[in-house]
Amino acid sequence: MSAYIDAGYVVALGTLAVYGSTLVARERAARRRIEAATKPTGEELADDDPSRVEAAPGPITDAMTHESGARSETRR
Amino acid sequence: MTVTSAPLKEQHGRAADVASSARLPPGSARTRRDRLVAALGLFALIGVVIDVWLGLWVTPPDQTLGNLVRLLYIHPALAWVMYIAYGIAFLSSILYLWPRTRSPRFDHLAGAAAEVGVVFTGLTLVTGSIWGRPTWGTWWTWDPLLTTTALLFVLYLGYLAVRRIPGDPATRARRSAVAALIAFIDVPVVYFSVLWWRSLHQLPTVDDPVTGKTYVHGSMAWTLLLSFVSFSLVFLWLLVHRYRLSLLAEKESDELLAIAMAERRGEVA
Repeated sequence: MSAYIDAGYVVALGTLAVYGSTLVARERAARRRIEAATKPTGEELADDDPSRVEAAPGPITDAMTHESGARSETRR
Repeated sequence: MTVTSAPLKEQHGRAADVASSARLPPGSARTRRDRLVAALGLFALIGVVIDVWLGLWVTPPDQTLGNLVRLLYIHPALAWVMYIAYGIAFLSSILYLWPRTRSPRFDHLAGAAAEVGVVFTGLTLVTGSIWGRPTWGTWWTWDPLLTTTALLFVLYLGYLAVRRIPGDPATRARRSAVAALIAFIDVPVVYFSVLWWRSLHQLPTVDDPVTGKTYVHGSMAWTLLLSFVSFSLVFLWLLVHRYRLSLLAEKESDELLAIAMAERRGEVA
């Protein structure tokens, strides 16, 4: 088959694939950035907000529980 | 002591829908929409794969063009999508300019359709050039259809540049909508150029307006039809993602501005 045909298909489909992938990646990155910018920090969440636990980085240790309790006392 | 300032709390409340995107319930409207878009992408991909298979391996070579006819299964479909894209940009711009239907969403849709349209116009020009070299003996000629299509490409690049001029969002959107209407004048000129002027480019393969004939039949006609459907689905999928990206970019700039203002208020207080 002619190289012109191959070139036509590769250019058209390749460009659309790259453009589509770029759009999806940019959309995901934008969602992540907005989520990070608008996510309330631990201090701004209510004590009974489940996100407070979800937001904790890694497993909750005794030390962290103690720290959290200390912060609650300060609030009171 | 709670350290959150009231304005910052308001900002967080306003952006709750965005922030909660990571904790979406399984049956929520957004996950349903995401699934629909994913299904659309899958159908588009399957359609293109079948089109390529039929176009390259199943359909017969042409009596005149030989195997070069296989470019028929991508080039006209790309041009068709280009018309759809600019048509959507045109209609969205009218809807934005019409006071009763004015909504920023139409501005975002027009911008998204124009950008995807520019990609398809570029591909129409490139694949046409690749096809022109072995059939006409040249990569480029100042033929009316080619020239008006190149002009269309430049006009919509200009439109995308106009959209990036900084300023008040409403003014920018109005200015862009007017630019889209002006750019659209070239679309019918491109379509009818092969009829209005002597052109090296062939007349439409399907339903020739001069003779009323259709020049493809059988598997070639079905593959051509499939290429139009598949590339239209690809366009829709790209349009949805570009439109969402546009909305997210606006939301992001709003959020950053709101946070900066809240911090500033905090500094003043």
